[in-house]
Amino acid sequence: MRHFLFFIGLLNSVIFYGQIEQNNDSISREKLNEIVVTGQLNPQSVSKSVVEVKVITRKDIERQAGNTLADVLNTTLNLNITPNTTTGKSGVSLFGLDSQYIKVLIDNIPIINEEGVGNNTDLTLINLDDIERIEIVEGAMGVQYGSNAISGIINIITKKSSRNDWDITAYLQEETIGSEYEWFDKGRHIQSLRLGHNFSERLYANATYTRNDFAGFFNTKKGENYAQNDGLRGHEWLPKLQQNTKALLSYKVEGFNVFYRFDYLNEHIERYNETVDINENPATGTTNPSALDEIYINNRFYHHLNSTGKLLQKIDYNISLSYQEQNKDLERYTYRIRNQEKENVEEGEYQSRSAVFSRGTFSNIINTNKTNLQLGYEITAEKGSGSSLAIVIGPESEEVTQELNSYDFFASSEIQLTDRFSLRPGFRASINNIFETQYIGSLSAKQSLGEDWELRAILGSANRTPSYDELYTFFVDVNHDVQGNPTLNPEKGVSAFLHIKKRSELANGEVRLKNKLSFNYLGLKDRIELIVINQSPLAFQYKNIDNFKAAGIFSENEIFYGNFKGQIGASFQGISKVLDSRTQSNDDFLFNLQLNANLAYTLPKWDSTFSVFFKHIGEQQQFVEKKNEQGAQEFTAGTTDAYSWMDATVNKSFFEGSFVTTLGCRNVFDVTQVNTTAFEGGTHNGPPAQIPLGYGRSYFLKLTYNLKI
Amino acid sequence: MTNFYKKHIAIVWIAIVSLMSISCSDDENSVVTEASFVVAFESLSSNLGTINTSQEIAFVYSQTATESGNVTLLVETVNATYGEDFTTNPPLEGVNITVPILQGANGSSFTFNKVNQNLDETVEISFNIVSVSYPNSQIQGNTTHTLNSEASLGRGFEPEVGGPNQPNQVYIDLSTEEQTQVKRDTWDLGFYGGDDFRVGINGSIYMAAAEIDNTNIDAVTEADVASIQDQVAVGTFDPTNEVYIDNPDGDITKTAIASISANDADNNVYLINQGFEVGSETPAPGSVAVAGDARGWKKIRVLRQENGYLLQYADLNQSSHQEVVISKDSAFNFTFFSFNTNTTLPVEPQAENWDINFTVFTNILEGAGSYGFSDGVLHNRKGGVEIYTVNTDAIAYDNFNENSIVETNFVLDQRVIGSSWREVINDDKVLIDTIYYIIRDPNNNIYKLKFTALLNDSGDRGFPEFKYNLVR
Repeated sequence: MRHFLFFIGLLNSVIFYGQIEQNNDSISREKLNEIVVTGQLNPQSVSKSVVEVKVITRKDIERQAGNTLADVLNTTLNLNITPNTTTGKSGVSLFGLDSQYIKVLIDNIPIINEEGVGNNTDLTLINLDDIERIEIVEGAMGVQYGSNAISGIINIITKKSSRNDWDITAYLQEETIGSEYEWFDKGRHIQSLRLGHNFSERLYANATYTRNDFAGFFNTKKGENYAQNDGLRGHEWLPKLQQNTKALLSYKVEGFNVFYRFDYLNEHIERYNETVDINENPATGTTNPSALDEIYINNRFYHHLNSTGKLLQKIDYNISLSYQEQNKDLERYTYRIRNQEKENVEEGEYQSRSAVFSRGTFSNIINTNKTNLQLGYEITAEKGSGSSLAIVIGPESEEVTQELNSYDFFASSEIQLTDRFSLRPGFRASINNIFETQYIGSLSAKQSLGEDWELRAILGSANRTPSYDELYTFFVDVNHDVQGNPTLNPEKGVSAFLHIKKRSELANGEVRLKNKLSFNYLGLKDRIELIVINQSPLAFQYKNIDNFKAAGIFSENEIFYGNFKGQIGASFQGISKVLDSRTQSNDDFLFNLQLNANLAYTLPKWDSTFSVFFKHIGEQQQFVEKKNEQGAQEFTAGTTDAYSWMDATVNKSFFEGSFVTTLGCRNVFDVTQVNTTAFEGGTHNGPPAQIPLGYGRSYFLKLTYNLKI
Repeated sequence: MTNFYKKHIAIVWIAIVSLMSISCSDDENSVVTEASFVVAFESLSSNLGTINTSQEIAFVYSQTATESGNVTLLVETVNATYGEDFTTNPPLEGVNITVPILQGANGSSFTFNKVNQNLDETVEISFNIVSVSYPNSQIQGNTTHTLNSEASLGRGFEPEVGGPNQPNQVYIDLSTEEQTQVKRDTWDLGFYGGDDFRVGINGSIYMAAAEIDNTNIDAVTEADVASIQDQVAVGTFDPTNEVYIDNPDGDITKTAIASISANDADNNVYLINQGFEVGSETPAPGSVAVAGDARGWKKIRVLRQENGYLLQYADLNQSSHQEVVISKDSAFNFTFFSFNTNTTLPVEPQAENWDINFTVFTNILEGAGSYGFSDGVLHNRKGGVEIYTVNTDAIAYDNFNENSIVETNFVLDQRVIGSSWREVINDDKVLIDTIYYIIRDPNNNIYKLKFTALLNDSGDRGFPEFKYNLVR
């Protein structure tokens, strides 16, 4: 903390210096109508899009000093970020469905991780340094984006061009972790360098390197070299170091664009065991404390070759070819704490996945004033493996591997029935080597009602592929019989959304408003659960058995007034689970309220923007089976307490924007965990009473240097 | 100032900050004190009566010696004279023996030679570590080794459980420091040597037994028992399956097989689930693989014969059976029998010669019936051993002395130690170091015993360690 204050002091001197020379370039007004690509036949404006796309712009990300996707999504309506302190990952849930059901894409293609292609994404692994905007679509998007896009998709669009000859951006970001900060061993330290260059009018290239060093959240814990066995060794949130290198090469001529993008991520997660083996020597009365520590090493390679252009002067094509792999390795060793030495080092694969992916769309195949037909294909050849350390499998099995090859074809057309009414039916057939051929469809309609009213109705569907645990778990011994089920079918999801949107201008255009009211329904059939298949002897197996429904209403509103921009939202969602996997269950709807507000005010005179990002998540309920006072099992609603999250930042630029500082406070309300009674205990242990959410109020300072030539 | 110049100031400023970040060295690590070098006796005592001509008396180093050195021992005797009654190698010089510390070794020893074979119970010879010549050395731990005719004063102990398959049952006699190992799946039935006529099954391989309503062993077939075979097993999560196992508390009157009646017509046939062979798979570190292939089924019937037993047994579908006469031996808790070898075989030491048994065992989970436990430690209830548990919060292990003993706390149930010394539910397998045990052995010696390891250094299960000390 001492260092941090010093750091801020240093910065202040620069700020004062900078204020002597002001420049009056105000930050350009943010466009009301961004161009989006997600779910579109051709890139087009948000207002023309038949699907409803939410956009988080580069500016929004800068204002929040977001380094990874986990930094920026936690104040977005309906999205809940769930950090896992024991794995170091952050997942995202939407409409009550976890990250297995939401698909994360970069430039329209799914990004791999060790547990999925697109889904199960660890948001902390998605660096935002070279991205232009984030597009979010809620609801099932299976026709456009394939399996696992059930609750929605997050599509990250990278920067692929620049108006400048040279762009050089370097930044340093220093963050406290709660109140913990030191130059190296505590806090979060980010360094980044980005170069972009137009070699010619046709050829553009950029390269980015980012180092993100999260030293872990200690709280009451005492780190690696603590030698007492009192549960205080290690960290509360695991420390991790990420290094991300990206490069892009783009070539453009009239009617033909091609780019190649490369992304390499290396991550080290250090897990210092809280259990210390004291190794007492009863004869000598001495000890030699050791601990069984683990380091997880993630290597992700991403290659994406994309071409867009026109065929036969008519058909717009967009073809992507991608190879990606992510290998997570585990190094286990005995750490002699006193000597700080590693012994019995064992290294091996933990989990890995690789995929060859190709997606192509051909638009305007029929293109009249009234209709536009898009045909597309998607080919995924995916191979994954999990070692016995990652997946519970029989002791004889070293690992499980699976290849999932799917060949998907989809068609989507936009039919302009009247000037104001357009319809967009879609269809996808997915042929693959494990499951039966899957057919899914979608239908969207957009009606303009007068100048400023838009009405959209969107029906979508998508399936979720079973996970390795569900397919291959094998835990059978004298006392247990828990088995995966290789014959599982994908879960089937459908969604229906109705969006009513109104744009208005007040006071001669001084105040501009966008109001949206949405109704949503999401249903999931054949949900996979672990169920008792035999009472005595007791045996469990994964089956397609349960159903899930989420229904709700939400509203998102934007206001622009002078230098003020505000976005305010509210969402009221009900979730019902039909648990046929349980002898007792209750499928009543349980409701949850969310509120969010993102406000920004720009002071042109000071080249400064003040921003507040706020989200409130109301009490959440879930039915759990518990023993009542009489000792009988009963199904009751457990509750997770409400909490609010707020980030506040000040953004100031100097020297015509060539030097930007962002100073901010994350988690202003100092949330660390919430109490919950919404979990069930396991067979052997009681339920957790708290969910960790954050590491407390923390402060950051980001210094960015931009050179544009 | 020109814009160009200003930009460069900014760059320089960033460069300074970066350099500061890089040049700052590692933040202060928690201070780690260097451990001092300790030489100590491996055990506190030896029994003169069990030494024939000579015995090595071992030293343990707290860490591998990186150079040579010496340990000097002071020799004190009661009713014994060096040269006449005993000698040592290295020999006595004055009142001391000097034993070298060996570079690169973790321990060393010296030789005690018993010259007079008729040393009586009044003799006591002790060796005290009085000085150690080695850098940064410290004298602590077992600084004295005593030779007399008394029970062991205590030591550290590593029972040969055999790793994550836990193949061995290890019987330990604390007062003589003896351990006896037996592979778990070498025996099936134990015939009680006490007054009752009882037969126990081998719970360490998860055997189960069910009474069949028939007294003709040859008439029982697989078809007769097929309906109950699923239930006659350990770990079915059915609370009623407790009747198929010997009560884990060790009470001989609560065996799965009813008391053998003098009236043959009362002795029914039993269906025997022979449990599992010792596992042979290598599990993930920290886990166990104790159960291997299923050993199949047998039918048995036991009758009294003279002051012993007549065992009839056969495979399920055989229409004839084998008969074995097994006589009682009152020096042992049980006489053990194996179907595979068709013979009795030695398993437990004599009833007075063991205190605790490291073994996989069948336990009962309340509400869930029988359940297999690894890392079990059962005490010799039938031989008269009793134990109770002490929490270190109440009295630290080192402070527990004769005055701390609470006679009324001693418990018969042989699971007092059981699995209470470890926690293996979560991924991290944890030794519980906040409890220890007070043990009264069959000769009324009272020991305190504390576990010091559950896993070996690589994190593998089945390598327990404990220490114990004589309290009274």
